[in-house]
Amino acid sequence: MDTMGIGEVGKGNKLIFDGAPWLVLEVNFVKPGKGNAFYKLRVINLLSGNTLEKTLRGGEKVELADVEDREMQYMYHDGTSFAFMDQTTFEQVSVSAKSIGDDKDFLLENMMLNVTLWNQEPIAIRLPNTVQVEVEYTEPAVKGDTQSRVLKPAKIKGTGGNVQVPIFVAIGDKITVNTQTREYSGRVSK
Amino acid sequence: MTTPGNRNALGNRSESEQRDWRPTAPVGVLRQRAELVERTRAFFRERGVLEVDTPVLQGGANLDHGVVPMRVTIGSEVRFLPTSPEHPLKRLVASGCGDVWTLAPAFRAGERGQRHAPEFRMLEWYRLGWDDRRLASEVIALLATLTGWSDEHGIITWRDAFRTYAGIDPLTVDDATLIARLGADAVVANHDRRIALDLLLTRDIEPRLGRGRWTVLTDYPADQCAQARIRHAGDGTPVAARFEIYRDGIELANGYHELLDGRALRGRLEQELAARSSDEQLDERFLAAMANGLPDCAGVAVGFDRVVMLALSLPDVGATQAFTWGDA
Repeated sequence: MDTMGIGEVGKGNKLIFDGAPWLVLEVNFVKPGKGNAFYKLRVINLLSGNTLEKTLRGGEKVELADVEDREMQYMYHDGTSFAFMDQTTFEQVSVSAKSIGDDKDFLLENMMLNVTLWNQEPIAIRLPNTVQVEVEYTEPAVKGDTQSRVLKPAKIKGTGGNVQVPIFVAIGDKITVNTQTREYSGRVSK
Repeated sequence: MTTPGNRNALGNRSESEQRDWRPTAPVGVLRQRAELVERTRAFFRERGVLEVDTPVLQGGANLDHGVVPMRVTIGSEVRFLPTSPEHPLKRLVASGCGDVWTLAPAFRAGERGQRHAPEFRMLEWYRLGWDDRRLASEVIALLATLTGWSDEHGIITWRDAFRTYAGIDPLTVDDATLIARLGADAVVANHDRRIALDLLLTRDIEPRLGRGRWTVLTDYPADQCAQARIRHAGDGTPVAARFEIYRDGIELANGYHELLDGRALRGRLEQELAARSSDEQLDERFLAAMANGLPDCAGVAVGFDRVVMLALSLPDVGATQAFTWGDA
């Protein structure tokens, strides 16, 4: 079990609290004049995505989580889980559909992305911030409607996911989407 | 000329060029900070307080509760960096220097955050024949001068601050109520009353002090007296003649009506030293000065970087420094 003094902990460290791995988002040091020091951490649970404020005393030790991000390629899914492969070691891991959630809408076969491993077990994926996808179906634009602020749903080819796109986007168009906000960010020129 | 040394220097050039060598605070901030130093100097010159310099490497350590000094080893000798210039300033006062002030580097191991830096500047001064209340007024006068804000202020005792903002009487509250008040943070305090009260102070009280005006927090409990004398409060309880000044939830100053009893002070410092797991050394020259006799006086230390932060509306103390701990 690796530990670290709380004074050394910074943003980005991964720690174990109550048996779960947490990522440190923010550290604040507070201390009354001649009193005891406290560290107020804002942490996010790497399994559930819940955030929490955690207070610790100066001088305490914290347990480091054995968490690493590894670049892998998305292979396929079998309904309950998604399979990824490390292109250097050819090691294959599977991540449950539950951990992946709505990110599945942007998971295209052969895509490279980061898989988070905790104690060598995959727990989450991190998509690239933007992905390029092809529109499988969207309602054709009504002639004369040039208001580009109006959005309509479009179905993503290969994943079946939906995103909102401007009215001028047509079937077969390649578009870029922000995976964090799920918003359309542009059309790839043909 | 191509000596191996030169080749080496050229080989490392790209790496050293990538190093972030520029100052943290922009020059505009440094100019305004310099202006605040000048105004401080003028304030004390006008009032006849003598500016002095104090050593950066002390023979003995400051031993304030919860404050960890840094040290340097020079051969077989150990020296301690000041956590405040309190000891040399009191030696000067004891020697008959009269009122003195300094803006000196201070160092506190492990203190890093929005309002803390391991290295910072402490503005500290001593007034002969004054008590803590009179000195608190002068601190507010200086802070008003530096920030351009009014000197309007409120005074609240440590006990009343807990009653008002935390809903408990810190002297009489039972453990169960205290634990309930801490909620999820109870586990942090781990049944230590002092820690529990410090936690409530930082969490529920300090953020509410100094809103819209200066707040003087005073009459600390006797067991948090540090180097202040003990007096009796209106309700008869012994309290430390110690104050802190807050603005916008930020503690800026800590002052005392100084303890004069050298023997009692030695006892307090020996007790603090015994409670530590580290091996700091008592500052014997300072204790000798105290044994010889400190004239009746009040002293205060002001975190100068925090004042600059506040006066210039900067987000943290690092933003007031040319070079912060992280890139010194």
